Order: sequence, then structure tokens, then C-alpha cells
Amino acid sequence: MTTNVPGRVSDAGTAADGQPGAQPEVLLDAREICKSYGRHQVLRGVDLAAGPGQLVAVVGENGAGKSTLLKILAGTLAADEGTVRLAGTLGYCPQDPVLNDNLTVDQHFRYFAAAYRLASLRRADELAGLLGYARHRREPAGALSGGTRQKLNLTLALLHDPDVLLLDEPYQGLDWETYLRFWDLVADLRARGKAIVIITHLVFEQDRFDLLADLSGGRLTRRVPPGKDSHAAR
Amino acid sequence: MPPADLAGAPAGPAARPAPAFAQFPTAWRFALRNQARNRLAGLLLAVFVPAWYLLLAAITGHQPLSFRLFATGQYLAVDSRHLTLISAGLNALTLITGFAVFAAIRRTLAFDRRLVFAGYRHATLIAAKTAATAVVATAVAGYTAAVLLAFWRPGAAGWLAILAAFAVIALTYGALGLLLGVLVKGDLEGFFLIIMGSLIDTFLQNPLGNPIANKPVLQWFPSFGPMQFAVGGAFGHTALWGHLALGLAWTAAFTVTGLAVFQVKTRNRTHPVRITP
Repeated sequence: MTTNVPGRVSDAGTAADGQPGAQPEVLLDAREICKSYGRHQVLRGVDLAAGPGQLVAVVGENGAGKSTLLKILAGTLAADEGTVRLAGTLGYCPQDPVLNDNLTVDQHFRYFAAAYRLASLRRADELAGLLGYARHRREPAGALSGGTRQKLNLTLALLHDPDVLLLDEPYQGLDWETYLRFWDLVADLRARGKAIVIITHLVFEQDRFDLLADLSGGRLTRRVPPGKDSHAAR
Repeated sequence: MPPADLAGAPAGPAARPAPAFAQFPTAWRFALRNQARNRLAGLLLAVFVPAWYLLLAAITGHQPLSFRLFATGQYLAVDSRHLTLISAGLNALTLITGFAVFAAIRRTLAFDRRLVFAGYRHATLIAAKTAATAVVATAVAGYTAAVLLAFWRPGAAGWLAILAAFAVIALTYGALGLLLGVLVKGDLEGFFLIIMGSLIDTFLQNPLGNPIANKPVLQWFPSFGPMQFAVGGAFGHTALWGHLALGLAWTAAFTVTGLAVFQVKTRNRTHPVRITP
């Protein structure tokens, strides 16, 4: 079912409404995001919100501005206009793995553990095991296959168990087994109240998402996945 | 209107356990490892340095040359082959350290951005990278000065002066590599600038077949100070510390500019504001 309501893809209250000590209703709240590259206006006032346990897909054609939107949400790219509010910690998985080819998988873990100021590598151990690449931990990233690089790329975004996850095509290059494990991982994250925004081309598994946000003409259009209660996304 | 209120500033509970990995030692260790894994630079060290000395020594005779020490205004009579060996060492160092640092910085720029974004302190990452660059540059200078002894024995004081000059030029071009690594868009532009800069800079300082030999314009090149110091020490038995410091001033200028650009290119584009209680 597609609704043609432009604008906000979630109408939940803002994070600022949250009671002290209580989990906020919205973990990620972006409003009126605009971005142009020269004369080309890519985003024309995009609103997007995600609450605890919510899984949102941003879909759209190539060049629609999906990655641009995610970079702005992640804070790695400045918007021309608009605000992004975030409650809690953020994990961002870029589309192309951003790794250091000279460092091993384990060295990546230690480097990012230092960045996130983690007390242990327990989460890294779990994720390497879950995504099935623990045997490559002593290999340099430059020697890994495309799929394993993507697994490491994803792990680095998840290492600090963030509250909000922004994943840009996270399962590209994954084999079927790992793809299924990825969804197990997502189910666990949702159950623990994490908000997840995924950019995806795969629209054949729409029922996995609470909400499909269609990016077209620089705006997001809400599309409730088939079989979902239209209120579930709110 | 600010573009966004908030981005991924990692934040967590106020009382968190001690980090398992301290930021400076971790960054320092991996920055060194990253430099050390540059196989092309290793190959250049093993093959290019001795080959370059050999080639330039072979094509240069022992004719007397007049070399001007700008600090004293004095002209030294020097052996052209010995002087050219110093030029060859300076030239090899500028190329190798320039390349090595340029490649290491450039290839990890996106990765460093990700680290900063994940919560790495900018100053810590910068300090670790700079320290690793300085260590690599100094080690390469020591090696190049040691290989020189196979071609010429200038005496202990003279060799130490050459070693100091080599260390300073290596630091200067390491810093230039850093600057170009964060500044230029493609590998080719960076390599071209390093090669041309190095050739023009180091060989203009040598009066052999040089139309602007001993002219004041030479003072405006980065290798001027180290060349003056090396020649003063090796042939004139004087230590021109001011000229060595001039080389370090070039190093500082390239480093500060490079790190400023690095800071801009890896900064978080938003203004983090936490809104949870």
C-alpha cells in the first residue's frame, strides 16, 4: 500500500518530548533536510524519524539521493538546511567499506575500540562470530574478499552497540547464509530497542520493515509495507 | 540555520569502564605499521638509494667546484663528486620520504575520517601520525647516510653534519608528503609534484653545471638550509645551526599547513547536541 503523503515519514513525538530517565519516543529525528550539489537540488525538505525498535527502509532509484541523505543523518556531510536530532549513540555503515588495507581485522577492532573508548572487544568477538568471519581476524583488510570486507565494515559500525544505526546497503556482497544472519542480528537489535535506518535496493522483502520511505524528486514518501498495519509505522 | 543539530558524537553513560585501548599508543602503533607496510618505499630504499649514489658518482668527475656558504659569504673549494653524493642523498631522501608519507596519508584519509567520526580525538590522531612520520623520516635518513659511507668517508664530524642535514630534509619532505596527501586529489598529481619539487630543489643547490650556482635565489628552496649545513660541516668544518633550523622551519610550515587541512577534511560536519537526559 502506498500513501502519497509527502513529508514526515513518522509522526511520532520528537525526542525532546522524552521524559527524563524514560526512553525517548524518537531516537532519530530529521526535519526539512535540503541539499544541493551546485544547481542540482538532491533533497528538497526531507523529514525522517525513527523510534526505538523501529526498522525503516529508504528506497529509491540510483542517484535519488539516498546515500546523501544517510551521510547527512550520520553527520559526515553538511546539509544546506534542516536539523537532525539524535538521542543516544550512532553507528554509521557507509556503502563502500572504509577500511585500512594494511591493518588486519583484529587491528581494525582495536583501533575502533580506542575510538569508541570501549572497555573490551566482547562485541567484536560476538559480531565476527555471528557474521562468520572470525577465521579471517589475522588477515589484512586488503586481502579480504568483498563480502568479508563488507562484514568488517558493518561490524565497525556496530562495535559500540549504538542506539541508532544508519546502514547504507549493508548486505551487498553478503552470501545467503550471512544475509540471513544479518537479519537475525537486526531482529536482536530491534528487540533491544535500537532504531535502524537501512538504505536498500532490495524491495522484495518489504515485509521485514516497519516503514518504507521512498525517496523520489528530493522528497520522501511513506509507503507502508504490505501486510503491515499502517499505524505500526507511527 | 545551522545545517544539523547533531551527529554521531559517541556518547554514553557518565561512568564508563576504563577503555581497553588508549588512543595515542593505538594510533601511534598503527600509524607506524601503516608506514612500514609500504613495500614500494622499502624497495626504493634497498635499490634506489645505492643505485642513485653509484650512478651520480660514476657520471661526476673529481673536478674542483666553488660552493658559497651564505652564512659567512665564504666560497669553499669542494670536490664535485663528493658534493654530488650529498645532493644524491638529499634527492633520494626527498623522493622516498615524500612518496612514503604522501601514500600513507592519502590512502588512509577516509579511514581517519571514520575514526574521528567514531570518537577518536583529532589532536591524538594528528600527534600520533606526525610522530610516526618523524620516526620513519629519521630512520630513512640514518640509512641513507650510512649507505653514503660505501662511496665516500667524509670524517666523523662531516658525516654527522650530513646525517643531521639528511634527517632535516627527510622531515621536511615527509611534512610535504603529509601536506600533499591531504591536499591533492589524485596520486599522479602528488607524485608529479614530489618528483619535480625534489629534482629542482636539490639539484639547484649543487653548483655543478648549474646556471644559478651560488645565487641568492637558492635560499628560497627547502633543501637550501640542509645543503648549506651539510657542506659547511663536511668541507668547511663549521656548524651552521641557523641553516639547519631554516630546514626545520620549512618542516614546521609544511606540517602546520598539512595538519590544518587534515583537521578541516576530517572534521565532523555537524554540531553534536545530545538531547537525551
